[in-house]
Amino acid sequence: MRKFRDIYEKIIVGVLFSSSTITSLTVILIIVFLFKEGIGLFNHAVVDDNHVIAISSQNPVKDLTADKLAKIFNQDYATWQELGGTKDSVKILTTSTLMSIYTEEQLGANGENIPSKVNEYVKAHPGAILFMSKSFLPADFAGREIAVDKISLKKFLTGTHWYPTSSPIPQFGIWAIIMGTLMVTLGAILFAIPLGMATAIYLSEIASMRLRNIVKPIVELLAGIPSVVYGFFGLIVVVPLIQKGFNLDVGETILAGSIILGIMALPTIITVAEDALRTTPRALKEASLALGASEWQTLRKVVIPYAKSGISTAIILGIGRAIGETMAVLMVTGNSSNIPTSFLQPARTIPATIAAELGEAPYGGLHFKALFALAVILFLFTIIINLTVEVIKNKARKQSA
Amino acid sequence: MNKNINQKIAFSVFKLLSFAVVAILFVILGFIVVRGIGVVNWEFLTAMPEDGMTKGGIMPAIVGTACLVLGSMIFAFPIGVLSGIYINEYLPENGLKKFLRMMTNNLAGVPSIVFGLFGMALFVNYLKFGDSILAGSLTLGLLALPVVIRLTEEALKSVDDNLRLASYAMGTTKLQTIRRVVLPVAFPNILTGLILSVGRVSGETAPILFTVATYFLPRLPQSIFDQVMALPYHLYVLATSGTQIEASKPMAYGTAFVLVAIVLFINVLASLLRRFLQKKVKMN
Amino acid sequence: MKKITTFIISLVIASQLNAQKLKIKGSDTVLPLTQKEAENYMKATPGASLMVTGGGSGVGISALLNGTTDIAQSSRKLKLDEKVKLQEAGKAFKEVIIAHDAISVIVNPTNKISQLTREQLEGIYTGKFKNWKEVGGDDIKIVVYSRETSSGTYEFFKEHVLNNKNYVSSALLMPATGAIVQSVSQTKGAIGYIGLAYLTPNVKALKVSYDKGKTYVAPSIEAAKNKKYPITRPLYYYFLTKAEAAVKPYVDYVLSPIGQKTVLATGYVPLK
Repeated sequence: MRKFRDIYEKIIVGVLFSSSTITSLTVILIIVFLFKEGIGLFNHAVVDDNHVIAISSQNPVKDLTADKLAKIFNQDYATWQELGGTKDSVKILTTSTLMSIYTEEQLGANGENIPSKVNEYVKAHPGAILFMSKSFLPADFAGREIAVDKISLKKFLTGTHWYPTSSPIPQFGIWAIIMGTLMVTLGAILFAIPLGMATAIYLSEIASMRLRNIVKPIVELLAGIPSVVYGFFGLIVVVPLIQKGFNLDVGETILAGSIILGIMALPTIITVAEDALRTTPRALKEASLALGASEWQTLRKVVIPYAKSGISTAIILGIGRAIGETMAVLMVTGNSSNIPTSFLQPARTIPATIAAELGEAPYGGLHFKALFALAVILFLFTIIINLTVEVIKNKARKQSA
Repeated sequence: MNKNINQKIAFSVFKLLSFAVVAILFVILGFIVVRGIGVVNWEFLTAMPEDGMTKGGIMPAIVGTACLVLGSMIFAFPIGVLSGIYINEYLPENGLKKFLRMMTNNLAGVPSIVFGLFGMALFVNYLKFGDSILAGSLTLGLLALPVVIRLTEEALKSVDDNLRLASYAMGTTKLQTIRRVVLPVAFPNILTGLILSVGRVSGETAPILFTVATYFLPRLPQSIFDQVMALPYHLYVLATSGTQIEASKPMAYGTAFVLVAIVLFINVLASLLRRFLQKKVKMN
Repeated sequence: MKKITTFIISLVIASQLNAQKLKIKGSDTVLPLTQKEAENYMKATPGASLMVTGGGSGVGISALLNGTTDIAQSSRKLKLDEKVKLQEAGKAFKEVIIAHDAISVIVNPTNKISQLTREQLEGIYTGKFKNWKEVGGDDIKIVVYSRETSSGTYEFFKEHVLNNKNYVSSALLMPATGAIVQSVSQTKGAIGYIGLAYLTPNVKALKVSYDKGKTYVAPSIEAAKNKKYPITRPLYYYFLTKAEAAVKPYVDYVLSPIGQKTVLATGYVPLK
């Protein structure tokens, strides 16, 4: 009987233990999946194995970097001369231009004549540059294939162009998006700190019990409103208000995002900061008051310094809340991938980019992987935030011990 | 004298800013309620969307959200509560406990869009559930897990240690103590936690974007492998898509109203329940 | 009480009608049209069940390729590569044009500009022109609105108006067409592009010239039908030949006079 009970307890403890590992397991799995896909961006060829970029074999130009190729396909060069080549004008040949040059009959019902037509075109135009499926290249192709460099981590982080669907050379520079994310978050926290701290102080030190019992649940309700509702409110109310108020060209700005995110971060900041303020020992406060300090002085010189680490935790957690917010930001910041220089400009954030683009990025493709790489960056931000909070907590614990 | 004036000014500013926070909530709620309440009626709640989603109702979205909430709770509640019990009752203050807490905090800090991405990679693609209620529920469940764990832990922590000691003194085992003494006392707070996490889950959009939500599906789900419409995503669609953006606005206000009403109802329910059960415990 | 009963009964019935399930996936441009057609079709055909999802033309076509959708709706013709892929997989497919769509260029109603050439549009969208006075308007900064990078309309506009050049990076990318209408209607210097179906009185559609300013044509269903308006494109349904029997009743419905009436009513250009 007793043995049976022991085994039973052991099984239960086993079940409890395995449940408690699920969170850790999830965190690890998230890391594995994000990194696995994200890293693919850097190992993956820009032009996939089935496609090819090629120029005529008569074309002397060498060292065509990905950036130069992107510019060529963007028609930034009229002739090859600017790239150190001949005076031949740059002629772009893709499957779609092919279809506009030759009729469907000429190309054959199943495209069987495409290779010979490609060859014909390249021979006739020494300035041709082509991008198409390898299967369209003839066996005796009169051109030279160009190897495109892979995307480097440095280019990914510091690149300023985000044209993920540009063909054939997509550009994945996320600097503008990182800056956008940071600016929106910074604005949100600047908006939320005064409101949040004032409310926390008011609730913990000034308000009567009755008022506190009314205000506190209201603050908690703010946390309950879904982010898409905040976004909807922002789109209909805040954006036009900002546009008129500041007399701007566009209302979808970092400021709009910051205000909405600031509101969304308020409950976190208020709750955590209030808890911290409340932990100040009563004896400490009373000692200060007994020395003749006013309540305000006590608050400033005793309570707030005592709760310092808790208050910083509150602010950092508020930042964490703001940085990862998706739907609300997607709806109000305009999502332009320009590097923002003021709070009154539109900006694109990491979460909004993922939400807007993932649904239409072909599964497993470069764009898909780039979005996972963005998620890795976002994830790293939040891990840093969490670790900072841990460090502050540990420090505070040591100090008080 | 100067001291008092300073104090008065400072305290008034604090008071003013606090009331501003309260005012913000009322502005947002007022906006949604004033514009939305006129749209909501029995038909709106029980009819299918019609006429390019400018008329009719939002029933499939309500049902879809209900399915997702239920599914995520079936997953997150047992695991969350069990894991809370393990961390608080079984683990001594050691490295493992610290580690598990840190992981829980880390998971809580993961942005919801990352959950969406992860859910898509693991459930939809790797495990081949496809876009489905199953995939969406599991994703939302993972998101709710840290909330449930934390609130369970807090609930257990608030149980007086003397109760545990008294129980041990009577010769019961640890498990019996937890089952017969600790859990009944902590139950009200655990329940509140559960309700609050339901509120959190029902309003999330980003995690379901790539795991389950569909633009238009005017029928009710028949299996856990079906896709569904969901309230938050439906609001997003109504607010930004649709050919007649003006004509679908009333529907958007109505949807926002229903969504907010559900979430607020859940929150109020949780706090009422907490008060009620706490009183009961005190009386005992 | 009666209402509740009918509600419950309808739930029960709905859960039992499991007859014909069709999945349609793809272009967001075609989405509102398919949604409306599906809605009407389901009303007219008891037991039919259609599921409509967006995701973009490319997503729909790859779903067709890996068998997760029955119909791929697309706002562009299959790319040659996609065609080859389907052929390689041994999947014969059919293409049906269900309607046409005219892309209208819109500005704020207070803007005094009412017509632009393609070259001017290209200049505006690639960032060469930054102020309306450069194209003959008031001294107001141009605010460029576009769809998200992965949308089919984004690609179409890039190909046919921007001459394949990249959009200016300061362009505001909107996650959905409705959002463009909303923003252009409240932003003075705004310019955007939308499907004809999305046109509302809150925004002004520009006349467009594709012959360097000789003739300007305003977007309309009439002008799109007789090919006078230059920025038009067909909208397609693609499905596998082997699934034709299951798909046909619905596709035929869309092509029927009733279905084409819906096309017109939703703001797209009917075939005849």
